[in-house]
Amino acid sequence: MSTSFTSGRRLRRLVMTAVVALIAVVINLPLLNALNVSFKTDGEIATSPLAPAGHPTLEHFANALGAAGYDFPAFFANSTMIACGTVVLVLLVAVPSSYAVVRLGWGGRWVLSGVAALRLLPAIFFAVPFYLLFSFVGLLDTVAGLMLVNTFLNLPLAMVLLAAGLRDLPVQVEEAAAVDGASDYRILTSIVTPMLAPSLVAVSVLTFLFTWADYLFAVVVSTTRATPVTVGAANFVTSYGIRWGDVSAATLLSALVPIVFAVAAQRYLVSGLSMGAVKG
Amino acid sequence: MRVRRFTAAAIALVAMGGAAGCAGAAGGGSGAGGGTVQMVLWPGPEGDAMQKVVDAYNAGQGKKDGVTVKMTLLSRTDTFAKEATEMAAKSSSVDVYFTASYIVGQHAPSLDPIAGVDSSAYFPVAVDGLTYEGKLYGLPLDVSNHFLLYRKDLIDQLMSDAAWKAEYGKVSQEVVGKSLTPKPPADWNWDDFVAAAAFFTKKYNSGSPTTYGTALQAKNLLYNVMIWDDVLWSQGGSWLDSSGKPTLNSAAGKAAMSVYSTIYTKGLTSPDSAQAEFPETQAAMQSGNAAFALQWSAGYADLNSAEKSPKTAGKIGIAPVPGEQHKTHVHALAVGLNKYSKNKANAMKWLTYLATPAAMTTYAQAGGIPAMPSVLQAQQGTNPVFSSITDSIGTYGFAEPTLKNSFQAYSDLADALSGAWVGREPADAALAKADDALNRLSG
Amino acid sequence: MRTRWILGAPLLAFLVLLVAAPITYGVWTSLTRRTLSGTDAPFAGLANYGAVLGDSTFWHSLGFTAAFTAAVVVLEVPLGFGLALLVNQRLPGHRVLFTALLLPIMVAPSLLGVMFRLLLNGDIGALPALLAKFGVSVSLFDPSSVVPLLVVLDVLQWTPFTFLILYAGLQGVPADLYEAAAVDGASYVRTLRSVVAPVMGPVLASAAFLRAIDAFRTFDVVYVLTGGGPGTSTTTASIYIYKTAFTDGDFGIASAASVVLLLLLIGLVPVVVRRIVGKPGEGRR
Repeated sequence: MSTSFTSGRRLRRLVMTAVVALIAVVINLPLLNALNVSFKTDGEIATSPLAPAGHPTLEHFANALGAAGYDFPAFFANSTMIACGTVVLVLLVAVPSSYAVVRLGWGGRWVLSGVAALRLLPAIFFAVPFYLLFSFVGLLDTVAGLMLVNTFLNLPLAMVLLAAGLRDLPVQVEEAAAVDGASDYRILTSIVTPMLAPSLVAVSVLTFLFTWADYLFAVVVSTTRATPVTVGAANFVTSYGIRWGDVSAATLLSALVPIVFAVAAQRYLVSGLSMGAVKG
Repeated sequence: MRVRRFTAAAIALVAMGGAAGCAGAAGGGSGAGGGTVQMVLWPGPEGDAMQKVVDAYNAGQGKKDGVTVKMTLLSRTDTFAKEATEMAAKSSSVDVYFTASYIVGQHAPSLDPIAGVDSSAYFPVAVDGLTYEGKLYGLPLDVSNHFLLYRKDLIDQLMSDAAWKAEYGKVSQEVVGKSLTPKPPADWNWDDFVAAAAFFTKKYNSGSPTTYGTALQAKNLLYNVMIWDDVLWSQGGSWLDSSGKPTLNSAAGKAAMSVYSTIYTKGLTSPDSAQAEFPETQAAMQSGNAAFALQWSAGYADLNSAEKSPKTAGKIGIAPVPGEQHKTHVHALAVGLNKYSKNKANAMKWLTYLATPAAMTTYAQAGGIPAMPSVLQAQQGTNPVFSSITDSIGTYGFAEPTLKNSFQAYSDLADALSGAWVGREPADAALAKADDALNRLSG
Repeated sequence: MRTRWILGAPLLAFLVLLVAAPITYGVWTSLTRRTLSGTDAPFAGLANYGAVLGDSTFWHSLGFTAAFTAAVVVLEVPLGFGLALLVNQRLPGHRVLFTALLLPIMVAPSLLGVMFRLLLNGDIGALPALLAKFGVSVSLFDPSSVVPLLVVLDVLQWTPFTFLILYAGLQGVPADLYEAAAVDGASYVRTLRSVVAPVMGPVLASAAFLRAIDAFRTFDVVYVLTGGGPGTSTTTASIYIYKTAFTDGDFGIASAASVVLLLLLIGLVPVVVRRIVGKPGEGRR
């Protein structure tokens, strides 16, 4: 009896795995297609949509790495620096302030509402002001400038998620620590932050991905030195036609760094769970 | 313990890249100075060709001038958005802007007029298009116009095969309402265009080798308005009448609208054409799914290239845009001098070089379509389409009226007309909306 | 309490230095005739606001955006929650699945739009070719199906976002809650309803809220695929503002439209934030 119970359970888990795997395939169709296209010659792309590459070519990847005359290694370096720096800045700003809002009642709900409202304004609203501000202080076309812009773009998301995460945490642990004489700073760094780990990881991943994918501000605020990979890849969308193979290869390559980041982050997301200690 | 280790790890994870990030963040300052001239252009054949000219200049004449040109490419849509931001901020970080006939009116307040250039070397229509309030604001670089690109193999068979001719008569009776005989594409009017499109559509002719006869570019996109304008002008229409009043809602406007909506609603083009522009039309031809299409001059070379279009290479013919009178929109892409540049003297040296036939020959050989007829003539061996371009622009070329804000006019017309092109909105209402938009902009 | 001001100081500094100035500039712009072609920007009072409020295309774009937002949020939050619950079962290979499920948000929306344009192309796209193999002929960009298509594409692209937030939220559900429910012999569904849902409330609310805000700003994929057409039928609020600013060169009107948009939506924010943060004073002190 217990055997059939177990095998029924295993079957159910297999079915669930298959369902999730199928969903993963469906949502990734554009990328799977890009993978196929990026190895095909231009002629094959234009004539046989489904067939795998008959004469696999690395030309598109070569173009997406710089052979087309665009400095992709620099674009990748810029994107990586911008995204990592933004994650650090966002956490440094958002973690203490969310804690002050949720646990210490700082600014009632107004601080959070105000910050969240920033994301309601279309990005274009800020394009020209940021350009003027940055040209005034010499941050135009710098990696640091793009870090600041992206911190601004992701702060609302981080504040909302961290506030929701904090709200979930059992307040008793902090109260007990406060009774023991721990300062607010100590409670924040050694009790709250570890318990908040899943939210921190989620915020880091999302901030990294959104920053990596930012396009409009990168176009406006960068010119040559701070160009990220998204803007570089758009060079293959030309006045006459789209260089399908090149833009596919560039899109795939541009997803590689975020994948590494997500894999690393997920290890912490999972270990956060399995430790149990975080559970409070 | 474990909690702390986890915290440390999590912090290390985010700090890891952050440190690297901040380390690389140093450095600042903006704007070009000294002998470096900053130029913005868009990528594609023009950008690629211009890079060769830039390289040639930097290696040769630029050394004598003491000038180095640096070119930045941005994607097609972003080029103008980026320039808009720079201009709105009165920035000096770019010395030479990319501009075009259809946007020069908007750019003119931020540009210096180009002086000391022999404008008679260029197509007059290109110079006119870049002239705003009597002054030339853009140095012509590249010309674009339209052709009817068609499958020679299929049209040849239509002209010779008796069974096809008979079927053509039947199909044209059904779709156009009169029995027509096949004509060579250079002689087509719009009835011939529609009849041939139906003949090469499986729905009307099960023996058709292609699924659809043609591939319309009917997406809401300002460049697609330029193609539709060919139809409008060929019917004797225009944006404005002789007194400067909008006149789209007229017999010519309705006839032009009917050509598009007939083709779309009768299914002579793929339903997907509602969201099609240049690349989709190229794909329809390359895949062998369409027999002919109105297309930009730049599309011809790729469709005939064995490497890029194995199915159609060597089979693509070229003819003027159909109509009782053939008409083709012409615009020039150009470069202009930033009024707020701090580097104008050097920038002018570069522009002076760019105006030489030698520079434009380099440009033509690298894949561009220079706006200098003499260079196009001399370079006919480089690209067979050059002679067609010289003929078509000289004989059939027209330019839309230059408004203060032509770019917005095209965009507003696309908003107003694209729904009716695909039969989603009534033609009269759409044309009236288009007239309203022009009224606002020309008033 | 001084502590809370010290903890909040970085945020305050950031807001003052980087946010106050652009917003002031943007609001000022909305009151002037600032255009790309005009070198000066004369004061215009509320004329830009009048122009925006009187433009039927603006209102249509708001209506379209609101309907689009509602549709995608209603689909993406439950789908993301379902996925999070599934992956949270520690399925075999869940680490690979987790990463695979996040892939779509790793691609810049502007590039993903281009990838969709290729995948769905009727002549050279893989999806129509694949369906044709099964005898299904589709024209995905037909005007009558283009709106549902855009909704589906948004769901494909952004369900990973709600999935990630809700998956992280599930890690915060204490294991002993599940255990207590299991001891009670509660079914999985009842456990979900009585144990998981209450704890997940704020996280679900914030996922829906964040997704709604971003869906309301939808731009890239729609712009790449339809340009807002046919006509203006798929013009989102962001496309309207983008075209006004960068195609029309009319920064004054674009700014005014942004402010109108903000004013229309801002009333909703405190309501949602209350749901997420709870009543003030519910914290430690």
